[in-house]
Amino acid sequence: MAKRLSERRRERGTSSSAGRERRSKRAQRAHHSAAVGRRNPALTWGLRFLVVGYLLMLVLWPSWYVVQHTFADGLTGIQTALQDPDVQHALLLTAEVSVLAVAINLVFGVGVSLLLVRYDFPGRRVLSALIDLPLSVSPVVVGLALVLVYNGRYGWFGPWLEDNGIQIIFSWPGMVMATCFVALPLIIREVVPVLEEIGDDQEQAARSLGASGWQTFWRITVPGIRWAIVYGVVLSLARSLGEFGAVKVVAGNVAGETQTATVLVQQKYQNFEQTTAYSVSFLLAFAAVLCLIVVALLRPKASKESR
Amino acid sequence: MSIEVKNVNKRFGDFVALDDVSVSLPTGQLTALLGPSGGGKSTLLRIIAGLDSADSGSISIEGTEATHLPPQKRNIGFVFQHYAAFKHMSVAKNVAFGLEIRKKPKPEIERKVNELLDLVHLSQFANRLPAQLSGGQRQRMALARALAVEPTVLLLDEPFGALDAKVRKELRDWLRRLHDEVHVTTVFVTHDQEEALEVADEIVVINQGRVEQVGTPDQLYDAPANDFVMSFLGDVTTLGGELIRPHDIEVDVTPGEPGAIEGSVSRVLRIGFEVRLTVLTDVGEVVTVELTRTNARRLGIAEGSRVYLNAVLGATRV
Repeated sequence: MAKRLSERRRERGTSSSAGRERRSKRAQRAHHSAAVGRRNPALTWGLRFLVVGYLLMLVLWPSWYVVQHTFADGLTGIQTALQDPDVQHALLLTAEVSVLAVAINLVFGVGVSLLLVRYDFPGRRVLSALIDLPLSVSPVVVGLALVLVYNGRYGWFGPWLEDNGIQIIFSWPGMVMATCFVALPLIIREVVPVLEEIGDDQEQAARSLGASGWQTFWRITVPGIRWAIVYGVVLSLARSLGEFGAVKVVAGNVAGETQTATVLVQQKYQNFEQTTAYSVSFLLAFAAVLCLIVVALLRPKASKESR
Repeated sequence: MSIEVKNVNKRFGDFVALDDVSVSLPTGQLTALLGPSGGGKSTLLRIIAGLDSADSGSISIEGTEATHLPPQKRNIGFVFQHYAAFKHMSVAKNVAFGLEIRKKPKPEIERKVNELLDLVHLSQFANRLPAQLSGGQRQRMALARALAVEPTVLLLDEPFGALDAKVRKELRDWLRRLHDEVHVTTVFVTHDQEEALEVADEIVVINQGRVEQVGTPDQLYDAPANDFVMSFLGDVTTLGGELIRPHDIEVDVTPGEPGAIEGSVSRVLRIGFEVRLTVLTDVGEVVTVELTRTNARRLGIAEGSRVYLNAVLGATRV
């Protein structure tokens, strides 16, 4: 665990200068290829072919296929899909659930990060390990676990909650919980290394200058970790938009009510409404790519700040 | 008395950082907490600041009981070894921080910040970020930031520890002059005995969680309370079973005075104006002696010479 964290920190250190490196790399390419040229050229080309081919077969071609099918009849496919009330509802629901889950994870994630880095308590290492659990456990299992605990008929809390008029399973609270669970580590794993790196000197200095805990948090801690937060939020958002397994188990898949975009894609595809399935897939992929672009645009700025 | 520390204990697990420490630090003076690394001096400073809490004992600052006050209520200024600059704020904003927290009116903050930046010679850097300053400049900024809130006491934790030797010496002189101007009660932690002797009005020697001695630099140097203080404040050697400073030994080539200790020179080392001899006495002691080059030449000392050693009159011995 400790090793993983330190590795990540090293990665961060190098990625902060990635912008500069990329620029200088372009300048050095002539020099580099001269050095590479001394190796067997056939091997070099073979390796290049392998890497490019791998990416092509695994990522680019399938993605392109989706785009191609979406726009097979120009924009009509997407227009038809967007006029379907089930699609509209599913996209809106996905957006709502994702934003809510990210908001909850943001507050909880920053809190847990501070707890893990700034405080020593019994069970700290256990908690730190548990936070990675959602990365290793299958989302379907997460969904089932939530159903077991919260369903209205035989769950642990479910009947009591239902008696008090709160439905969790087959409703949006359950979907938000499932999404929160799977995206839980993303913000924490971004914020923790940065908190460790900046240390608590600045916070102590702020306290000695008369700032309360709350003032210190807003004026010193948050500006120090803001780029980690932004990055974590974008990653969680992308993850939340694409969540399928856990949400499907928890939501019960009622079209127009508890059906999210990813679940809808699967259903439409199985019902031979391929164009709609492709169109919604495209929109989901587009949103994810947009998230990544936002991150890519923010990163160089972040490194300039920290230098 | 400005700061009263009474019967303070502090443990980190099994490690005893402070063992029943009681000390009074005088108002308006520059006091050094001096001792080896891990001796507890930084812990004591942090407990005075409220950044750590004592397991037992009490602290009062200018007559106010402060044992359980959080740091922000103690009205102290704290300067850290690694500056603890607020990285995302300009130099001026860093200095203004304490005043903004206290919700002072804007014009007053501006006036005060300018005044302090003048004092620490950083006026032309007001709009820079800390990352654009050198180590010495950053530490001066940290000092201005701590002084801005007009603290009752100024606490510095190894303030020059991270700086190179030359800047260190400059800042040391500058801190002394600054203190003579501002007169705020100042306590600083150092493991460098030269720094403490040069700058401080009063020195508290701390070792293994205990106060070994409190006194002025002269008192400590001339009348050390024990072996530890004697050896921590300067070079020592043993002559006739007693600790003595190597430059307090008189060397003769003829058996003049009664009671002189006889031996032979096993090593001669010249360092600039100074000559350092290693003498093996006939009773089996290894004694280090320092004398000036002129003196060594006059006596004609070389390796293998027979010499007679005496403590000079008025030498400090423990």
